[in-house]
Amino acid sequence: MKEWATKEPLSYPVLIDAMHIVADLYGIVNVPAALWIDENDKIVRPADSTPASDMWRSFSGVDSAVHHDLLRRWVRHNELTMDADAVRSFQVLPTSEVQQARLHRRIAVSLHESGDESGALEHMDKAEQLAPHDWTIRRGNMPLRGVDPFGEKFMEFVGEWSAAGSPGFKLGTGRETK
Amino acid sequence: MTQLTVIDESGSHSFGQVGFGELGVSSDDFARATGWSLKPEGLCKGEICVPVRDTAAMSNGAQIDVAEFARVTGRNMVIDASRNVMAMGEQASIRAASMATLDAPNFTLPDINGNLVSLRDFANRKKLILAWSSW
Repeated sequence: MKEWATKEPLSYPVLIDAMHIVADLYGIVNVPAALWIDENDKIVRPADSTPASDMWRSFSGVDSAVHHDLLRRWVRHNELTMDADAVRSFQVLPTSEVQQARLHRRIAVSLHESGDESGALEHMDKAEQLAPHDWTIRRGNMPLRGVDPFGEKFMEFVGEWSAAGSPGFKLGTGRETK
Repeated sequence: MTQLTVIDESGSHSFGQVGFGELGVSSDDFARATGWSLKPEGLCKGEICVPVRDTAAMSNGAQIDVAEFARVTGRNMVIDASRNVMAMGEQASIRAASMATLDAPNFTLPDINGNLVSLRDFANRKKLILAWSSW
């Protein structure tokens, strides 16, 4: 990642969030996601699935241009399509299980970093039992488990998640209806 | 001395574990790492104080029990006693209430060169937060 992020001089910082602190604070349940914060540090658009390009469009059904256009209108013309109540209604609020799962995942990351793989696996299992349909937990654990996050296990997870009614972001910016 | 790892929103903190309460650590070390210390008015961090009913269970002065701290401050926690690690975080109801204010909570994280960056470094500007993974 460092290689990519330093290839061109960037005008914005790239931060490492191994413990998923921002996901916890802002209700991010999957990546890629975007949210907007205004000049007064108010959230004016909640987290939603917003890929930078159409590379995965056939898989995700998300047209990236929709978010790009909304973003330009906000930055250039201060146009917002949602009021505060709408922002609230589209936030994904955590369950007690998800909050507990995050703690198990943080312990797993810490144990993984200190080389205790069996301890890390135990806490990843607990996190996934608590939050089986949270992508930041299930898919986020795959690299720690040495599992391909684009492989067979991932497709199994997508199947389980779909069968559960595709819980996740409520907003659906750029999500195609077909 | 056994090292106890305490994980919270500010990151991982390592403490020498002492024989006080369930997860005893030095009160001074804990205050340095988290900003919280026990005062006559209760557990305090800056201007904020939380009343403590059973002061003796919280601290003997030099040492503080991190598990009791989490209970009294209403935090979720997971303790792995056999691996000397604990994590504490926000309860779902408190997180939901803070999200509903639409106030953007600050966070501080390292950039790819290890320099710490905070959301508040970008005050008075529009901010786009992109969450992604390098896989």
